[in-house]
Amino acid sequence: MSDAVDAALVEAFGELDATDNVALVTLGSYARRELCPGSDVDVILVHNLKGRRSVDTVRAMTERLWYPLWDAGFVTGHGARTIKESIALADDDIDALTALLDVRVIAGARELGAELERKARELAQRRRNRVLKVLVDASDHRRSRPGAIAEMLEADLKEGGGGLRDVQSFEWGGWALGAPGGSSTLIERGLLTAPDLARVEAGRELLLDIRVALQRVTTSHSDRLALQEQDAVAEQLGFASADALVHDLASAAREIAWIAGDVWSRARELVDGTDSKSAPADQAVAEGVWVRSGRVHIDTRADGSIPALRTLEAACAAAENDVPFDRTSLTRLRGTDEPSWDVWQRAGFVRLLRSGARAVPVFEALDHEGVLARLLPEWEHVRSRPQRNAYHRYTVDRHLLEAVAQCARLLDSGEEHIAPGREPTVEMVVARACRRPELLLLGALLHDIAKGMPGDHSEVGEQTAERIVRRMGFESEAREVLPWLVRNHLLMAEVATRRDLSDASVADNVAAACSGDAERLRLLYLLTIGDSKATGPAAWSPSKGALLRDLFVKAATAIERGEAKAVAADRREAMHEALGEARASAFLARLPEQYVQAFDVDTMRMHEELLRDSPTVRCERVDGGHVVITVVADDRPGLLGTLAGALTVCGLDVLEASLFGTTDGFALDVFRGADPFGRVADDDGARVTQTIERALAGDIDLAVRVDERRRAYAPITKPSPPEVRVEVNTEESETDTVVEVHTDDDVGLLYRLASAFTELDLDVRIAKVATLGKRVVDVFYVRDSADHKFDDPDDIARLRATLVDRMTG
Amino acid sequence: MKLVVGIVKPFKLDDVKTAVQDFGVQGMTLTEVQGFGRQRGHTEVYRGAEYTIDFVPKVKLEVLVEDDDAQRVADKIVEAARTGKIGDGKVWILPVEGLIRIRTGEAGSDAL
Repeated sequence: MSDAVDAALVEAFGELDATDNVALVTLGSYARRELCPGSDVDVILVHNLKGRRSVDTVRAMTERLWYPLWDAGFVTGHGARTIKESIALADDDIDALTALLDVRVIAGARELGAELERKARELAQRRRNRVLKVLVDASDHRRSRPGAIAEMLEADLKEGGGGLRDVQSFEWGGWALGAPGGSSTLIERGLLTAPDLARVEAGRELLLDIRVALQRVTTSHSDRLALQEQDAVAEQLGFASADALVHDLASAAREIAWIAGDVWSRARELVDGTDSKSAPADQAVAEGVWVRSGRVHIDTRADGSIPALRTLEAACAAAENDVPFDRTSLTRLRGTDEPSWDVWQRAGFVRLLRSGARAVPVFEALDHEGVLARLLPEWEHVRSRPQRNAYHRYTVDRHLLEAVAQCARLLDSGEEHIAPGREPTVEMVVARACRRPELLLLGALLHDIAKGMPGDHSEVGEQTAERIVRRMGFESEAREVLPWLVRNHLLMAEVATRRDLSDASVADNVAAACSGDAERLRLLYLLTIGDSKATGPAAWSPSKGALLRDLFVKAATAIERGEAKAVAADRREAMHEALGEARASAFLARLPEQYVQAFDVDTMRMHEELLRDSPTVRCERVDGGHVVITVVADDRPGLLGTLAGALTVCGLDVLEASLFGTTDGFALDVFRGADPFGRVADDDGARVTQTIERALAGDIDLAVRVDERRRAYAPITKPSPPEVRVEVNTEESETDTVVEVHTDDDVGLLYRLASAFTELDLDVRIAKVATLGKRVVDVFYVRDSADHKFDDPDDIARLRATLVDRMTG
Repeated sequence: MKLVVGIVKPFKLDDVKTAVQDFGVQGMTLTEVQGFGRQRGHTEVYRGAEYTIDFVPKVKLEVLVEDDDAQRVADKIVEAARTGKIGDGKVWILPVEGLIRIRTGEAGSDAL
């Protein structure tokens, strides 16, 4: 290709009245004979003519040279300059300078071309730091835009990270560093190793071949290997499939990009002038591992081998300090022993995963030296494996690492301190509750490990994961849960987007798939989020996030309900054993379903006794300065208000109230209150018992007495009205309307709220009072006078208004 | 030509796709969208994590059809997307002024 253009140009040049003072010189890719069908033909005419006439002479020459090229459809970068002009231009513009570093004379005065090249190389050396800085920055920039070739669905062969530009930069950087020039200088200065240079050369060949084929196929000068062209390009180059083409391209580009990162990070130090004299002292990390001048170093045994644990510790040090390996140390890692996977090695591996995004470059470095394959032989199979569809952004191996990074980020969010007044998200709450975070990270690393193997990748992956966790010696729970995670990693995403979540059986099925295990559900939920985010923009959206969250909350509720049912069943059985079947059944039949879930067996037995000789009041002190008051009374409207009032009069702060009606017209109400000084429940709680009995008999004017008490405890300054929030939920319970009241704690609060319900003719069936410092959240399960759940908006509005009024009034 | 636009529940997408394909429609554009209708959003709490669902996730689909087919395609979508519960979505039909297939330059009905 280059030869053909050469010939055409030589012929054109020959037609000129060529003088000895003119040379036709090519630059850039053409000079390197890397011309592709769509390449620009970079040619300049160098001359050393002087005087006014020379301008006309040169113009006449260039017109005769360039016009045929333009007519033939070559886009040409062109010009006609003296050497001095060229160098001045190059001094202003690094791009122009790098172009002059590769010069080839096609026709005319050879010595002119040679002089141009020599002067350009001298200039590059004089401007060493500036040139290197531009090269380093540009290389960094390419990784984010257009992005690394190995990670892109439609790679940019030239400008992409690990592309041709990166390859050329090595040469240019070498010239800036002086003799002997080019990549040889890099090797001489210890910035590049000979084996790495060989890898770069091999990669360059492949990149060029693909580029030529691409431009032939598209008949354009595009460097972007678009999805639609990949089949044709693969065929041109004799690849078995487009997958094979993209695989090889990704592997080559990954090597180049990694080497570029490695070389330039050291070149940057050269530019910044960092040297070991001013660097801080070595920081020992583990036996044979230390950090010096921002690099991780590692020692071998006498025979050159390295214990597997040491390698893992060095990897953790690199990830946790976010620093690279020292180049020599990295090469030493090849001597890493076969891991035996004892408990320390396992912990080291998990620790590396926990570093998340910062572990990604470490994994890449380990992979570069073949260490990763020793730790995880299955990795060979997914390395650089392309996923050629619009959904996936990364190759399989990179996607797996990205999923680990995303999951680590989720775990980080669970550890975040939540500032007061800020609500945690569901993900944060779930991440915090996660009991086995290492299973999440391993699940993320392995979930797609069987991609590309015959059969369904989830099913095959389950078996592969089983082998891996067995080999790594994880304990039985991990050996069960991990393969299960891999097998089901698509379950929640599929169900969330394709099933009707308002159908209760959908969430129940997910709960069942988790074997009713809340931890499995948490792991699966977090993995689904991590996996989706790591796939690409098309796989994650706020919409999908909302659906997933909805499914998770529903399935978690189903599991909790199941757990509650199991507890209830156990307690029923224990009651049967303790009281005999007939007596226990008769007692439990008198009370609602939820009763069994609220109390342990001893308490239920006590209640059974109390319900024999009703009505009665019992007051007992329990651990933690609390009092439990159990009241059995004739059930009647307003009972809760009366009891709450009586307890307020006694000076008891009610923390929790559980109210149950029996089928035969009694109420069993249990109050738990704080009595830190033991004053309320002294003399066996006789005063409490008396007060309650008198209140039930109507002998006390509770409204007046509660108010007195409230005034007695009122702060001297009049407090501002509390912030009140009332939430009414008609979905949460199938049988009751659930009313949540958020407000500031106050003397007699429960009395006033309960009275408000009575006033509205509503029946409180269960009350939970949770005091969190100054704030109180009271939850009431309420039915209307006909003993039904109510959801009429007008009724709810009236209830809300009344409650707010009672608390602020 | 008409543009049939539908907002449907995400899990009904496969059914709708099948129905529209069975009818013989060649192409369809999908977008994940969020919004609210009479269904509205609501606040939920999970273990102290409170989250407001202001907008409900839906899928928006757009289908270009001949004038005569528009109503029938709309009916197919309605039929396939209906669950009978609140939040099933909506379908509407818009007139289309012109249509060009970019690759070939074909215009009007030829580009369908």
